[in-house]
Amino acid sequence: MITYVLKTLWRHRTRTLLTVSGAAVAMFVFCFVGSVQEGLNRLTTGEDADRSLIVFQENRFCPTSSRLPEDYAGKIKEVSGVRDVMPIQVWTNNCRASLDIVVFNGADPEQIRSSRPIELVEGSWDGFESQRDAAIVGRNVAQRRGLDAGDQFSIGEISVKVAGVFESSVPSEENLIYTSLAFLQYTRGLDAAGLVTQHEVTLAEGADPDRVASEIDAKLRTGAVATKTRRKGAFQASTLSDLVDLIGFAHWLGYACVGLVLSLVATTTVMSVQDRMKEYAVLQTIGVRPVRTMRLVLAESTLLCIVGGFSGTLFALALLWGGGFAIGAEGATIAFRPSIGLAVSGISISALVGVVAGVAPAVQAATVPIVDALRQA
Amino acid sequence: MALVELRGVSKSFQKGDETITPLDDVDLSIEQGEFVSLMGPSGTGKSTLLNLVSGIDRVDSGTIFVDGTEITELSRSKLADWRAANLGYIFQTHNLIPVLTAYENVELPTLLLKLSSTERRQRVELALEAVGLSDRAEHYPRQLSGGQEQRVGIARAIVSHPKVVVADEPTGSLDTETSEQIQVLLQRLNKELNITMLMVTHDAEAAEIASRRLLLQNGKFVEREKTVLVPEDQTPASGSVATQ
Ligand SMILES: Nc1ncnc2c1ncn2[C@@H]1O[C@H](COP(=O)(O)OP(=O)(O)OP(=O)(O)O)[C@@H](O)[C@H]1O
Ligand SMILES: [Mg+2]
Repeated sequence: MITYVLKTLWRHRTRTLLTVSGAAVAMFVFCFVGSVQEGLNRLTTGEDADRSLIVFQENRFCPTSSRLPEDYAGKIKEVSGVRDVMPIQVWTNNCRASLDIVVFNGADPEQIRSSRPIELVEGSWDGFESQRDAAIVGRNVAQRRGLDAGDQFSIGEISVKVAGVFESSVPSEENLIYTSLAFLQYTRGLDAAGLVTQHEVTLAEGADPDRVASEIDAKLRTGAVATKTRRKGAFQASTLSDLVDLIGFAHWLGYACVGLVLSLVATTTVMSVQDRMKEYAVLQTIGVRPVRTMRLVLAESTLLCIVGGFSGTLFALALLWGGGFAIGAEGATIAFRPSIGLAVSGISISALVGVVAGVAPAVQAATVPIVDALRQA
Repeated sequence: MALVELRGVSKSFQKGDETITPLDDVDLSIEQGEFVSLMGPSGTGKSTLLNLVSGIDRVDSGTIFVDGTEITELSRSKLADWRAANLGYIFQTHNLIPVLTAYENVELPTLLLKLSSTERRQRVELALEAVGLSDRAEHYPRQLSGGQEQRVGIARAIVSHPKVVVADEPTGSLDTETSEQIQVLLQRLNKELNITMLMVTHDAEAAEIASRRLLLQNGKFVEREKTVLVPEDQTPASGSVATQ
């Protein structure tokens, strides 16, 4: 019986192909949008979203405008519940929302190595720690910019030597370039000797992040510059707040794509079934049960959806995997990564939509008035 | 009980304000192994009768038994199962599935039965052989002539070894020569495979091959004797004798 379904689809191959490619494009967009959404979720719910705090200058947003004394680190460390503090100088090529954002984080190499969840896939830590202008580059940036260990990379006032490429369990980390703190502080135009953009605080086990945050701000209120401390996830979400709205909107676009697949496949199946009402009458005269007739139609619509959805999903995942896309603003970035969850939801949604799209024509085919359909010339 | 039994069967259709009652309280018995031909003016309800016997249409009143099963009682789904196992339907226009080859078309009904794949293949091959189309198994309907298509349709109707085969003007759209081939074929299937046949036809000659000839007139069946074919120079047979 599946031969019948396949051959029927093949007979109208142009129609089949158009429907399949339509479904593929829509599911491609769905997966792409889904990966952006996932990236955002990871930022705010990821492993270090709630266990790290970011200390930033009060009422400042772009990293270039936040200037905190480096020696705040010592004071912050005194607050109970703080396990470690890493002063970070941030430099970005673009403070506005951009798809090709390059973000440098300058910090102590040893601290980076011990506290960041990163692992070198190319190059060596020694190379990074021993040279002043050395940098290690996140895998996404390396992919996007075509960088390998040993390359020289210049952007704006900054020129670094790529000492290694790293990957991370935190995807947004892979959009960063790490250099030593001093190197970035002395970059021309930044003039940041003794100053940093932010302090990243690692919390001790069991410490309440909100309590620690307010204690840090209270303690530093007396200092030269007032601070605002937030959980890392919340900090990044607020930094990206414009983008968050946009992504929320894009989310609906994803659902619209699913609706598009639904109506596309339903239309094709309805057309195909209505052309062949007599065939279904003949099948039932031969002895095919109405339920089985229904299954034949459902198989047709589901097959269209799965083939289209599968290829769209696969193509999206391949592109996400190889493209190293990220969107960012003000030094925070969202990585678009492929994921198992995305693959599973792309394919299962396709299958589900296929079944739903086939229901109406399937009922039509199953309940065909046999005699009337046969009398039609 | 006869193989096919109609008792007090009535069927009417609504056409606008008008009610047409082609079958009004008719009775009919067909014995196992009989080859019954059914003639009658257009619109008298011959096709309607076949559709009722095959359970693709519903009686308004009355009962139909086939091989002891009261098919007028069955649900649509049960009727489908019943047809798959017990009934072959030969259409006027073959109604083959255009995307399937001759072999696949004939195979269709066997897919509805519990058969091993060897058994299935044997049956399909035998059915195609019976209609003389073994060498056309891989052809698609559009690659076959009208007569060949009709023969594939016949093979499809007999492949599941049904108890009854109904045929609605099986030669209606064929030329004389091809018609004759099909008639011979149907007669052979009836004799050799002992298939009970009920065939509607407008062709007096085709009706002659049947073992029993019926005329449907004014909603009643009239039995006709076999016409004695006489050479042209002799006096023609004095029509048919009607009995009821
Ligand atoms: N589905 C239907 N709806 C309305 N009227 C119908 C329907 N089916 C049959 N009829 C009417 O019932 C009558 C009998 O139709 P049927 O097709 O059984 O005739 P028939 O004897 O097979 O005629 P023919 O020799 O032309 O094939 C006709 O008057 C026809 O118009
Ligand atoms: Mg008719």
